[in-house]
Amino acid sequence: MAPVLLGTVPFGFVAGVAAVAAGMSAAQGIALSVFSFSGIAQLIASQLVAVHSPVIVTVAAAFVVSLRFLMYSAAIAPHLAHLDWRWRSALAFLMTDQSFASAARRYGEPGSAANRHWHFLGSASTLYVSWQASVAVGVAAGAQVPASWSLDFAVVLTFIALLVPAVRTRADLAAAVVAAAIALVASGLPYRLALVVASIGGIGVGLAIEAWRRR
Amino acid sequence: MSTWIAIAGVALSTFLLRASFLVFVDPHRFPHWFRHALKFVPPSVLAAIVAPGLVMPAGGIELPPANLRLLAGLVAMAATFHVRNTIAAIATGMATLWALQWALARLA
Repeated sequence: MAPVLLGTVPFGFVAGVAAVAAGMSAAQGIALSVFSFSGIAQLIASQLVAVHSPVIVTVAAAFVVSLRFLMYSAAIAPHLAHLDWRWRSALAFLMTDQSFASAARRYGEPGSAANRHWHFLGSASTLYVSWQASVAVGVAAGAQVPASWSLDFAVVLTFIALLVPAVRTRADLAAAVVAAAIALVASGLPYRLALVVASIGGIGVGLAIEAWRRR
Repeated sequence: MSTWIAIAGVALSTFLLRASFLVFVDPHRFPHWFRHALKFVPPSVLAAIVAPGLVMPAGGIELPPANLRLLAGLVAMAATFHVRNTIAAIATGMATLWALQWALARLA
């Protein structure tokens, strides 16, 4: 858990700086983080608010980058089926890439799973607190971070840290390569639509390769 | 005001996606191919975010040696492949970028 916590600190800091740099007030930067609790969604939303995109475009882009939560939700649901809706809502709200990975590992271990939702709650809420603290520091530092530090590059690096372990099979690799290529070729499309087109293209290629290999 | 509406919309969509199968619908009621497709969401979406950040840092396609970010990103990828944590990616990537920027400034 400790390395995961450490990893969120620079990411949260960058997300906080990005919100203020996009022209949001401190209250808006904090609210975005407290209620959405997703670094990627926060960064994409900040980028689009910065260029004065229409609200619907900002929300749609955040929706697309958050589609991976659908997968996490489906994967973890059978393990939490015995809990009431309040427990499931709370754990859903707190779910992140890191806490999903940690919970999925824990549920895969042998032994009784009856109390593992407490482990999920504990690790996810610890992450929540450390994330919000890091974002708050970033919001406070705001525009004082000099451009020569190239801190925006740390954002790309955090995505690389998530991307590399997400590529586990050849079909994953093909999906990633095709999505990357489409994202570059389609970059002229307005409102980061390239992201949507590239994601759909990558998913399609992944499915096609998997279907072809299974024949 | 529109920023507040956007914040509310982003918060609502992230929650609804997280809660989808946990609170609202049974995943087994969805077709098999749909659950298969979800597996490819992380590699596709993340690659689509990373690629422009590395290859088009200023909005147009740039290649090395001029594009230091692409070089630093590839170093970070190699490091993350061996040591799977976020700190390794940020530390190696930023250190490489800063070293290259420093070296370039010296040469120029």
